[in-house]
Amino acid sequence: MRRVLVTGLGAVSPFGAGVKAFWAGLAAGTCAIRPLTLIDAEGFRCRIAAEVPEIAAGSPRRSRADRLALGAAVEALDDAGLGGEERGETALVVGAVGGGMLEAEGWYWARARGERAPGWAAALRSMLPAAHGETLAHRLGLGGPRHTVVTACSSGAVALAEAAELIADGVVDCAVAGGVDAVTRLCFMGFNTLKLLDPAPCRPFDRDRRGMSIGEGAAFVVLEAFEHARARGARAYAELAGHGMTTDAYHVTAPQPEGEGMVRAMRAALAAGGVAPAAVGYVNAHGTATPQNDRIEARAIGQVFGSGRVLVSSIKSMIGHTMAAAGSLEAVATILSLTHETVPPTASLTTPDPEVDFDCVPRIAREAVIEHAISNSFGFGGQNVTLLFRRA
Amino acid sequence: MSSLQRRGVVITGVGVVNAAVVGASPALGTWLRRPRAAERSRAVGAREAVRLAEATLAGLIDPGEGRRLARVCRLTLAAARLAVAEAGVDPAAGLGLVVGSELGDFTSTIAFADGYLARGPAGLSALLFPSTVMNTMAATTAIAVASRELSLTINVPTISGELAVARAASAVAGGRVDAVLAGGVDELDPLVAEMLDVLGDDGVRGEGATFLMLEAEPVARARGASILGRIAGAAWRSLPARPWGVGRQVASRAIHEALSRAERAAPGWLYASASGDAPRDAWESRVLAAALGPRRFPTLSLGAHLGHHAGLGALHVAAAAWTARAGLLPDAAGGEPARVGGCGLVHGLGRGGGQVALIVEAE
Repeated sequence: MRRVLVTGLGAVSPFGAGVKAFWAGLAAGTCAIRPLTLIDAEGFRCRIAAEVPEIAAGSPRRSRADRLALGAAVEALDDAGLGGEERGETALVVGAVGGGMLEAEGWYWARARGERAPGWAAALRSMLPAAHGETLAHRLGLGGPRHTVVTACSSGAVALAEAAELIADGVVDCAVAGGVDAVTRLCFMGFNTLKLLDPAPCRPFDRDRRGMSIGEGAAFVVLEAFEHARARGARAYAELAGHGMTTDAYHVTAPQPEGEGMVRAMRAALAAGGVAPAAVGYVNAHGTATPQNDRIEARAIGQVFGSGRVLVSSIKSMIGHTMAAAGSLEAVATILSLTHETVPPTASLTTPDPEVDFDCVPRIAREAVIEHAISNSFGFGGQNVTLLFRRA
Repeated sequence: MSSLQRRGVVITGVGVVNAAVVGASPALGTWLRRPRAAERSRAVGAREAVRLAEATLAGLIDPGEGRRLARVCRLTLAAARLAVAEAGVDPAAGLGLVVGSELGDFTSTIAFADGYLARGPAGLSALLFPSTVMNTMAATTAIAVASRELSLTINVPTISGELAVARAASAVAGGRVDAVLAGGVDELDPLVAEMLDVLGDDGVRGEGATFLMLEAEPVARARGASILGRIAGAAWRSLPARPWGVGRQVASRAIHEALSRAERAAPGWLYASASGDAPRDAWESRVLAAALGPRRFPTLSLGAHLGHHAGLGALHVAAAAWTARAGLLPDAAGGEPARVGGCGLVHGLGRGGGQVALIVEAE
């Protein structure tokens, strides 16, 4: 197995375009969850979301999600300094759920009214999750292995794990991997219907938490074989030292009550990296702010690391749950916490849940020199992923 | 050193559910000796397509269980269970799942949206919402067959099934899991048919599911499993094309990489992903010619018989294992199969430029 380094970062988040804006927002503990503008929220209990304020990348004829993905992937490739020749052999793994559904919904809503919406053919071509990968590969000249994974809310993290396996196994030297999702009507309406959305900005790990906030964005990273990165003198942000992917096989929407699958994912990541639990200083939690997730995740973290022994925070308190992008945005946040020696806060945490026996870094970022950190992502269908990062 | 050179990957179970074949590897083998095209109808969409009779599917799933599952999930589960049963794998020993799908549960997605359009927020169904996420088939199947290791849903036009099998083979070869259930599934839906017409995909559409049980060869042998075939090499690549588009580039390393991992110079015969989508089929022919040279290999696609769906690619892998065992390549016209030797190449090239190659050989 070859070692895998992170040599490029890219993000388009509710704080705007770029990794710099993303980290500035996180480090300041800024909440980007605001009244929803992209879709009609009339009649719903929750009417807020964390929207990306402005998208510079790509033609407006592309889907919003494609443009989010392009912005983040271009930044990551530029950051890594990967040239055209190397891109031809670079793998691409995309985690996606909604695809270009926002525009396809526009087509379908218009069709239901008996209208013919403009740009309908383009909307349909870009509708499926795989369309992001096709757009990125075509635009950026990525000619290596390419696939799109859909594992619900853990998709972005799975994409990084998949790409890491391609590199570790010697299939490719470099890979671009990440996740993307735009706000869609289906997603917003669905989580409202499940009564999983808080009408106010979400409060992960708070005693009075009432559910999630929806968000959108994209994050991509360049992963590279250690030897390849060293040979070309690339800067490494961190090492993706291990990952674990497990399935609850318990319930389509509810996590297994003891967090058994979560525990296995975290332990598998540590085992793959040869890292003892005591060597991990920070857990970037899935932390959705639903009563069920946060309690079960905290219990699972306790089983792996010991009660109260690591710092735990959820950046969803600031950017909401960005669905397929969540795992990759949180991976980037975890990497930046190692490089900046600062743990981002759980911004809206005012009354810690007594059932969560961890320092969840309330409201204010915390300076901390950490050697290893993990990022947890869990999705519908009991799809658990843990990524383990080591300081470069 | 590729992963597929580290640990052998064998096929120990097959499950097929479509309009022409329902069953495990013996049923598939019987059909392959004289394949007949399944009946086409205009029951779904304006063009003829191959649809599985509802009564057939109903007979495969317990009614109580079936009531709770969307149709595409029932297709998945029925085929998955057939493969698990034939393999005799104990899921408690560690079982992964890789599902390929082009369209997911579009029927439920449309029903969910229609609820809102008809009645506003009050018309939305909390039960339907999870089915709007494409991993719903993997989620329900993982629960039903107790798959607790990695679970992936792979989405790519045209080649989801082949790619799911290739990805699963890579996980087994790399030692990350000893057994993975892998395959593809799609169902027909009138709105999907309308959209594909808009996009200019004029191939024959079908529906169904095919799943294969892949195991690490030492593990399968140790438990005395019947081995149906071996995946000796697999590779997938990206050729430039716009979303849902057909590209021009024909040079690709996928086929050479797959052959190299299998330590083979050339295949003896091919299963290709041709489905009647003329521009895409022509592109695939050019890509194959560029990789394999002027020699004409015995080649078959079952797309015209079964209609294109994500299960078809996985079925091609299962069919290739049968061909490798029997030394027979089915005759597309339903005549006597041709005698062939050597290993087989299962090739897929999708709209949007996804490409996959698998080398399949006998035990």
